[in-house]
Amino acid sequence: MKNRALVFLMGIVLFSCADDKGSVFKKHSSSTTNVGFSNDLTTTDNLSILDYLYFYNGGGVAIGDINNDSLPDLFFTGNQVKNKLYLNKGNFTFEDISAKAGIEGNSTWNTGAVMADVNGDGLLDIYVCAVVGLNGFNGHNELYINKGNGSFQESASAYGLDFDSYSSSAAFFDFDLDGDLDMYLLNHAVHTPKSFGAANLRNQRSYETGDKLLRNDDGKFIDVSESAGIYGGINGYSLGIAVSDFNLDGYPDIYIGNDFHEDDYYYLNNGDGTFRESLKDYFGHTTRFSMGSDVADINHDGLPDLISLDMLPDDEMVLKASEGDDNIQNQKLRVKNYGYHYQFTRNMLYLNQPDGTFMETALQSGIAATDWSWSALFGDYDQDGEQDIFISNGIPKRPNDLDFINYASNDNIKIKLNNTNLIDSEAMRLMPSGSVNNRIFQGQNNLKFKDQSKNWIPNDTLVSGATAYADLDNDGDLDLVTNNINTTPLILENLTNNTANYIKLKLFYKNPNRYGVGAKVYSFANGTMQFKELFPVRGFQSSSEPLIHFGYGQSKTIDSLKIVWPDMTSQTLKNVSCNQTLYIKYQNTAPFEYKLLHKKIKPVFAKVKSNLGIDFMHKEDAYTDFNRQKLIPYQISDRGPATSVGDINGDGKQDLFFGGSKYIPSQIYIQADTTFVATKIASIQQDSIKEDVVSVLGDFTKNGSNDLIIGAGGGDFFNEMAPLTNSYYQQLKSNYSAVSFPEQFVNTSVILSFDYDNDDDLDLFIGNQSFTGDFGKLPNSYILKNTNGAFSIDSDNTFDTVGMITEAISEDFDTDGDLDLIMVGEWMAPKFFENNNGKFTLLNLPSISKLNGLWQSIIAFDIDLDGDMDFLLGNWGENSKFNASNAKPLKMYYGDFDKNGATETIVASNKNGTYYPIDGLGELSSQLVYLRKKFNTYTSFAGKSIDEILGKERLGLATILNVNTLQSGYLENNNGSFAFVPFKFELQTAPLMDFLVFDFDKDGKEEVLVGGNYFGVKPFHGRYDSFPGALIKSEKDIKLGNILGLDFMSKSVRHMNIVKLNNVAYLLVTMNNEKAQVYELLN
Amino acid sequence: MKYTIYYIIPLLFLLSCNAPDQPIEVTSENMHSVVDRVTQIMIHDIFSPPVASRIFAYPNVAAYEIIAQKNSKYQSLAGQLNQLDLIPVADTLKGINLELSALVAHIHISKQLIFSEEKLGVLEDSLYSDWEGKNKKEFNASKDYGLAVAEHIKKWMVKDNYSQTRTMPKFSVNTDDDSRWQPTPPAYMDGIEPHWSKIRPFFLDSASQFKPAPPPPFSLEKDSDFYKELMEVYTISNTITANGDNSEEVQIAKFWDCNPYVSVTRGHLMFATKKITPGAHWIGITKIASRKINSNFDDTVYAYTKTSLAIADGFISCWDEKYRSNLIRPETLINLHINDSWQPILQTPPFPEYTSGHSVVSGAAGIVLTDIFGDNFAFEDDTEVPYGLPIRSFASFNQAANEAAISRMYGGIHYRAAVEVGIDQGRNVGNLFLQNIKMKTN
Repeated sequence: MKNRALVFLMGIVLFSCADDKGSVFKKHSSSTTNVGFSNDLTTTDNLSILDYLYFYNGGGVAIGDINNDSLPDLFFTGNQVKNKLYLNKGNFTFEDISAKAGIEGNSTWNTGAVMADVNGDGLLDIYVCAVVGLNGFNGHNELYINKGNGSFQESASAYGLDFDSYSSSAAFFDFDLDGDLDMYLLNHAVHTPKSFGAANLRNQRSYETGDKLLRNDDGKFIDVSESAGIYGGINGYSLGIAVSDFNLDGYPDIYIGNDFHEDDYYYLNNGDGTFRESLKDYFGHTTRFSMGSDVADINHDGLPDLISLDMLPDDEMVLKASEGDDNIQNQKLRVKNYGYHYQFTRNMLYLNQPDGTFMETALQSGIAATDWSWSALFGDYDQDGEQDIFISNGIPKRPNDLDFINYASNDNIKIKLNNTNLIDSEAMRLMPSGSVNNRIFQGQNNLKFKDQSKNWIPNDTLVSGATAYADLDNDGDLDLVTNNINTTPLILENLTNNTANYIKLKLFYKNPNRYGVGAKVYSFANGTMQFKELFPVRGFQSSSEPLIHFGYGQSKTIDSLKIVWPDMTSQTLKNVSCNQTLYIKYQNTAPFEYKLLHKKIKPVFAKVKSNLGIDFMHKEDAYTDFNRQKLIPYQISDRGPATSVGDINGDGKQDLFFGGSKYIPSQIYIQADTTFVATKIASIQQDSIKEDVVSVLGDFTKNGSNDLIIGAGGGDFFNEMAPLTNSYYQQLKSNYSAVSFPEQFVNTSVILSFDYDNDDDLDLFIGNQSFTGDFGKLPNSYILKNTNGAFSIDSDNTFDTVGMITEAISEDFDTDGDLDLIMVGEWMAPKFFENNNGKFTLLNLPSISKLNGLWQSIIAFDIDLDGDMDFLLGNWGENSKFNASNAKPLKMYYGDFDKNGATETIVASNKNGTYYPIDGLGELSSQLVYLRKKFNTYTSFAGKSIDEILGKERLGLATILNVNTLQSGYLENNNGSFAFVPFKFELQTAPLMDFLVFDFDKDGKEEVLVGGNYFGVKPFHGRYDSFPGALIKSEKDIKLGNILGLDFMSKSVRHMNIVKLNNVAYLLVTMNNEKAQVYELLN
Repeated sequence: MKYTIYYIIPLLFLLSCNAPDQPIEVTSENMHSVVDRVTQIMIHDIFSPPVASRIFAYPNVAAYEIIAQKNSKYQSLAGQLNQLDLIPVADTLKGINLELSALVAHIHISKQLIFSEEKLGVLEDSLYSDWEGKNKKEFNASKDYGLAVAEHIKKWMVKDNYSQTRTMPKFSVNTDDDSRWQPTPPAYMDGIEPHWSKIRPFFLDSASQFKPAPPPPFSLEKDSDFYKELMEVYTISNTITANGDNSEEVQIAKFWDCNPYVSVTRGHLMFATKKITPGAHWIGITKIASRKINSNFDDTVYAYTKTSLAIADGFISCWDEKYRSNLIRPETLINLHINDSWQPILQTPPFPEYTSGHSVVSGAAGIVLTDIFGDNFAFEDDTEVPYGLPIRSFASFNQAANEAAISRMYGGIHYRAAVEVGIDQGRNVGNLFLQNIKMKTN
């Protein structure tokens, strides 16, 4: 008994140790730090989350050395409680000097906190934002000028900064490079039940809710928002600000994160005192409920990358019980009719590209879902040379809990809610708590982040918001401080100490910007560049210590440090030792050429202005697959258009055929002397009903003129509807006439013409993808044998239920002189069929047989330059909510689960060892109504595995299809045996839809051009829009399209072809629901 | 569970030993309490108005068919309602209490139709233990028969195409067609029940039997009929809003709101305020009228059955037109073309505008209730009191129906044509019932 008690006690001791200490950070409690501040929220009858939408957004935190003793001091704002200022006394002890300093504040509701030298006297001043004019909140934003004797003078009105509006935060930086600090003020809108008006509401200025840009004119801040091009409407819910010279022209740019339906704003600095908002030009999509953000170069390319936070939970229990993304029709409505951009509920990581666009990779990078997240702070916390991310988290009550939304108002609560605005304890009780652990992710030099939340930091169940970093103990590593709701701040000491090396820089720039806000620092060590900018306002409602910090792992010296000052001059330090704090004075500077940062772009392609007369615009019809087959994983209706290049009118020159979508006729362009001319061939174009997904031009009749075969699909026509049949038009003396063709009623995906039986005519392979309304059923594919121009199914070569084929190539891979066949498709492995005298046999290739993917494309190319043919394979990519591996494949359950005579599919993926459906209860029960009876509440559904949801009996009805990898890559040919080698990160950001082999750069060697992106998924998945195209010379030489002159980002490529006009080769790119592009080949 | 059984068995034993058998009396109040409970559960489970009308109808038919066996005033609906056959005949030798059987059948089918069965189970258990305590033999025999009838009705019920319509395509939003309905603020919910016209009607020969004239052609020309009706909604709304919340029109609009799911968003905070459906409101009026004349059990079942059938086919008729004309709501057009911050007094419900569902079912219900209880039957309508709304007095059912219809214009959710054509459409449905369906003998 005694022993047991002892063990028990020891257990407690162990646990409590574990609670205070992670492997990188140790928590200091308020009892030792004397930091007793606590942002206590008091709910009253007139003030709660019901009355003020941002009741739970928390206070601010600012860190900086206010008394120039080299120890950074702490400042906290309280929403309802007084602000506090703590002097750093060393060793993680602090002294409360709030009263003496006179910074406690007079506003009712304080928000963001900033330290900046506003008056340019070399001392850090403090700016405190406030929400004023709502809910009886009074006061104004306050500016505390540091008098240098431990006391401050509130002087906001003297500087023109005493705003009484709905402010959440502010940032001080020199936007016009005139040497002094200007200010950007974030104000937030107040929600109305009317969810969204037109996006152009942002053009009408509103004092209370609109953001403001204030130019510092000799100590007076002048509102220049309107003339500078800053939006200030009633619909801007500005919560996040990230200041950075995103486009590297020397002038600071601004990214503003807006909550709710308003788009984020991306303000590029014109350098003349104005900005141009350019979000849609450079971002394919953004966070929806944008919160905090941060900027850092995470991939050592010298370009500032951006993270923006949202509120997607990763815990199944929370995820499936919370309101999620828009439905797809609302999203279309909002984008098309109301003018908003694509927004999705998850964190976004935007990798800055040399052409100014951003590649968004949060899913692939592993940081998309961190729950109710407020602040993101990049920092090299373990000092290994890679940027890590700390994300603060939590909300006292989850107001988007689905059971709360639907059932809170059951009994009498609703009357109270509705009539008195009072949220009583009963209703609050029904809202689950959202106190969750803060998160920290380790950067790994491969653009993927490793979740170290359970290791690096102590466990907590805090509601942490504003966060700042600083070197509180001057040991060189970055410590963290968060402002928490209803409890004392979290002060985390970094324990990295001397286990890894660092450098810390403090800048001394010209007055009045003495701290060097806006300076850039480049570090070069061991062949790796690191890059940071000094903008202390980052994260959320906070400012961090004004310092630059780099980690170096075990390297002890830095080859060079280059400091680029805001005035576009620079100075360089060579052979710097690690593990010191450098105080860098502005001296011996030389002009810095920003042009040098932009030398990477070496275009191989250039858009032809005239498009060679090809003004083909593919218009996808409005059909939405998810309205009918509500649970399929992706659409099948948007795989067109067909594109064929060949002589259509018999003049020996290449012409073009473009397929139409449903009810839209195909288009034909005939080559004239110097351009292409749209031409009508009535017998072909009168068929406007079918959706033309693939086509082939070829002389199938051997009469010297091309014939045309069109494969139909579209995923809309079903059963044995005539528009599902393929078409065959024979040409005789320039007249095309439809002739009979073997009938089939599936969605066709491939028509490949080749002579498989060596009888000197063109036969066909017909590959099929899916049955409309019965997704998951495997269609047959066929060989059609050509007999004097007529086609018939070769019954010796049927490919019964071969799979959901998307692409096929003919290639003599066994080099026996006849053409073999390779097929790829979705939910299957690539299949190699060997041709022996006209009979195809499936090869059993163990290295490939488990390579089930969502394959979209294949091409033969010697990528390893060893003389034999390798095969490049385009898959779905890893930047997706799907995940798959051999051990934990993605699964699709196919069967008639509701026993209504029609099949359904349910896709499930593995999370921590258990399979969960990707869809939530709402979506599943829109098809499987009985689930609403089985699960009366969302909570009862949340966290349930697919086995528990469907039950044994219904699972038994299922056919299970697997995907083992989502990676694109290539099959390396090693003397006839193949090994799969995945492509690098950037080629996994989206589905790769097509390959084209050609000598594009005219160096005498062929390259492969890759096109991709795909949008046919529900808003929960987002848009796979980030792949900029790539040119592959070899496995080691792969260049992205955004430095080659390609305009592929946010566009979904279907086909790429070489077209010759007057013997000059051009690249023709056909895209879904987009204008065709024509590029000339430079060099 | 195990323990409960141990506990209950001796208790039952004691009861059955000591208490002499008593006759079981099933009252009209028992029927009201069951209907009330089902109404409450439907609010919790959030059934849309058409689905709610179906949930009211089938249990009532089951109960009615049982009492029609023994009460010579009433005759069976078998052969009169589409595809309904005669229920199994009760064995007169078994001492079956047919009122009890009727209520058992009602509860059993209701449980099948709602989601939260356990909430009805509580009432069921208390009724059953009361009855069982009084006379176990009579209870068991009656219950068995009630369940047998319920099975019969369920077989009929499952063939009404309801489950097939669950998996039919969603309503397609087409942003290119200016006249076409699109989701409305603040929840932007999908169009509800786009395939309800495919549900088998109870007595209509088809969903389109009373296909109304089309609405005025869509036009935003200022002198077009359509635009004038649009402006009328806007003007009325502005006028009565200016008059304040206590104005008669605002009171009328709110009284007849009957929206089962009003979505409230305050920032990230969302919740729904829920009320009964239009059908449930008229079922409530049926209860008020039955109580006022002290209807006995059989007459109460008759009244509920007749009213719920008229309402159910009213919804089928109305929804047939809604997804034929697919007309856009006034809120969408006013926000786009007239005033981007205008909000209707009531929240726009999530389905196309024409015709007004409340007008149709009120018209239908008014006709059959007048037939049951007589014209100029004055009543105090306290149905909405639990939802914070006052009592309103009416001189007749048809007067109440007229008010319900016009309330939709006051509420800013319907144009005039939908209201005026809608109430006629509903009255046609009600009159067809009176013509074709004979429930009373004589």
